[in-house]
Amino acid sequence: MNCEKCQELIHDLVDGALSREDSATLNAHLESCLTCADVRDDLQSIVSFCQQNRGQYVAPPNERALWLRIRNVIEAEQAATSVAAPAPPGKRSVWPAFLGSSWELSLPQLMAAVAALVVVVSLATVVGMRRFEATNAIDNSPNTTAAGFAATGTRVRDRISQQEQAISYWNQRVELNKARWNQRLRDTFDRNIQVIDQAVNDSLNELNRNPHDEVSEERLNAALNEKLALLKEFSEL
Amino acid sequence: MRNRFLLARAGFSPAYILTTLVVLAGLTIGSASVFAQRQVSKRFATGKKVRLVLKNISGKVTVESWGRDEIKISATLESSSTTVLPKQYGEGVIVDVLSDNRGRSDVGNVNFKIQVPVNSIVDITTIMGDISIANIRSDMVRAYVSSEGDIELTSINAKEVYAQNTSGNIFFDGEVMRGGKYQFQLGQGDISIRIPASSTFDLDASAPDRKLALGQFWNSSFRTVGEGRKYSKTIGDVNDGRAKVTIMNFHGGITFIRR
Repeated sequence: MNCEKCQELIHDLVDGALSREDSATLNAHLESCLTCADVRDDLQSIVSFCQQNRGQYVAPPNERALWLRIRNVIEAEQAATSVAAPAPPGKRSVWPAFLGSSWELSLPQLMAAVAALVVVVSLATVVGMRRFEATNAIDNSPNTTAAGFAATGTRVRDRISQQEQAISYWNQRVELNKARWNQRLRDTFDRNIQVIDQAVNDSLNELNRNPHDEVSEERLNAALNEKLALLKEFSEL
Repeated sequence: MRNRFLLARAGFSPAYILTTLVVLAGLTIGSASVFAQRQVSKRFATGKKVRLVLKNISGKVTVESWGRDEIKISATLESSSTTVLPKQYGEGVIVDVLSDNRGRSDVGNVNFKIQVPVNSIVDITTIMGDISIANIRSDMVRAYVSSEGDIELTSINAKEVYAQNTSGNIFFDGEVMRGGKYQFQLGQGDISIRIPASSTFDLDASAPDRKLALGQFWNSSFRTVGEGRKYSKTIGDVNDGRAKVTIMNFHGGITFIRR
């Protein structure tokens, strides 16, 4: 017997689960091998300690026969299940098995699961909040980086561009109808479009000087909307 | 020769007669144009709480309340090709102004005088001309002039008030109701808000810098955004701020007056 085989069987020896022949062979090796003897002594002392402090667990008689019976029962059950519900090859999904399985959790397991869920949700919230704050900082803070300035400028320019497209469309319609207007109507339109254009230009100039001027941005938006409304009204005349 | 003799005997010189004829002709043409103006008047029996929607093109619109459960619409039309189309629907009346020919151009002035129950919702829009609304207690009053015209809202007690024009003035005299919403926007001209001293509202007023006069409504809770720049915005609460008052004037001033 070599040391590897010996150390595999030491556990059974200590438990008293070996046959007489195997025990004799093993003991013969232990008498000649100091290393394996030390392993046996250590294991023996551990088992003794456990037996003294946690109660004694007696190995069942004929342990091998017991394990064989257990294995036979498991194999018989598996065979019965496969006959009753043969799964089509390659179509068995993991989810039905996962969802169909029985979930029985002890209180500590349940608490651990809840704690894990709380930790995950908290982390997700913190990460989300940081990202939201970072976005807001770019939008609102006057102390943003150059990238923030560029982002705001682009946003304003995009919006102006969209509104200008609509304004251009309605302006064309106004020009088509202008021919049939009387002088009073023309003068009224020109005067008022000038008022709005001046408001638009003033706001744009302010925004060029200070891209984060919220007041000018708001006024620009209002002025463009008013211009659009005026053009729509006059385009129907 | 004989004619000249007769005229001389009657004491009228030819120049005098010619002048008289010119004056008479002018008067005739003038009175003819006066008679060319058409008057339209119509009444609609309504409930106590109704909605009036008017879409005018040009002319003055005057709306005031009266003690009857009906809407009376009186209109003076300058152009013969213009038609006033009032339609009753459910608890409301819609009035539209159209030209007989194409589109709505050349409609001339159409001046309205409309009387409504005191609890009416009033929604008036026009392209040019003044709007005057008085003595209304309802959920909403709206006056919108897309180009030129003054807006005068007097003795208004409404949960929502909207007034907007491009050129002219806006004058609001009324009450700010708790939880109400009040919006005024003007391109060129002045906005005056005359409300009781006990009014409670949350103010957001934007005007050229230093053109906002809060008067006795000013308090230390107000803060100004963009002070010193061309435009600034003043934000703050007057008392507990239960209503929302939003005002924007592009070129003119905003003045608060205690009622």
